[in-house]
Amino acid sequence: MGFFPRRMLHELREYSDIASIDEIARRYFAMNAFDGVLTIIGVLMGNYAAHVRDPTIVIVTGLSTCIAMGISGLWGAYLTEAAERKRELNDLESHTLTDLSETKIGRASRVAVIIVALVDGLAPFLAALLVLFPFFFSSLLADIVFSYYVSLGMALVVLFVVGAFLGKVSRENLIISGVKMIGAGLVSILLTYILDKVRGS
Amino acid sequence: MGTVRRLVLDVLKPHEPTIIQLAQQLSELPGVEAVNISIYEIDRKVENAKITIEGSDIQYERVLETIEENGGSVHSIDEVVAGKIIIEDAATPQD
Repeated sequence: MGFFPRRMLHELREYSDIASIDEIARRYFAMNAFDGVLTIIGVLMGNYAAHVRDPTIVIVTGLSTCIAMGISGLWGAYLTEAAERKRELNDLESHTLTDLSETKIGRASRVAVIIVALVDGLAPFLAALLVLFPFFFSSLLADIVFSYYVSLGMALVVLFVVGAFLGKVSRENLIISGVKMIGAGLVSILLTYILDKVRGS
Repeated sequence: MGTVRRLVLDVLKPHEPTIIQLAQQLSELPGVEAVNISIYEIDRKVENAKITIEGSDIQYERVLETIEENGGSVHSIDEVVAGKIIIEDAATPQD
């Protein structure tokens, strides 16, 4: 049983080396998880400022945002990555003067497109979904305002984790890197808050 | 038919997969005992490699398949030794 997955894993590692999949996937993961969290912060703060107090509305708008971001990431990355990889392969073929599409290099290139597209779609989708999660349990909390607080808190935690991940990639201090990310979330929350106050006054 | 014991090939290949991976794969082929790959020219995208293979019964088709699978192409077969033992080329007055 163990033979097949191990072989697949070995092949995947080989493809990753050939097509530098891990490097670009890391970049896409961090960038899009960050995008996902900031977008959902926008949705949450918008709902909060518009005095939405019905969790169903928050969940529906939040989920549709998650889905849109997921599809946008998946589709966009698939098309752009496929175009870039094809160009790269054609360029290499012009040097080797052979058809590389059925070689390990061609296969690595196709696998790279799929993996990168999946990471690009799933990272914002899952990150945003995680932030939205407290609203699924808002009936357990006394006031929906708590759900907003918990969700925004969750958003800052996810941002911290993404920052720490980047800190690990760059081999820098994880906490400093995480706090830098939280800064972006706080600025976003603050600006919407000010906008709401200006509108109210 | 006699068995091929040594092959020296001139190969053009992309930088990836590396010559380490290629050497490992070639050395795993049946009838191959040792592989030496040395790079003698590097371009921006490709490199020229001299591949020396020794073994008890080298199957050229399998060697070619492995090189092509890794994106390489054989430009020339520079030396081949076949038979019961490995012999070097004989010295002649012209040398």
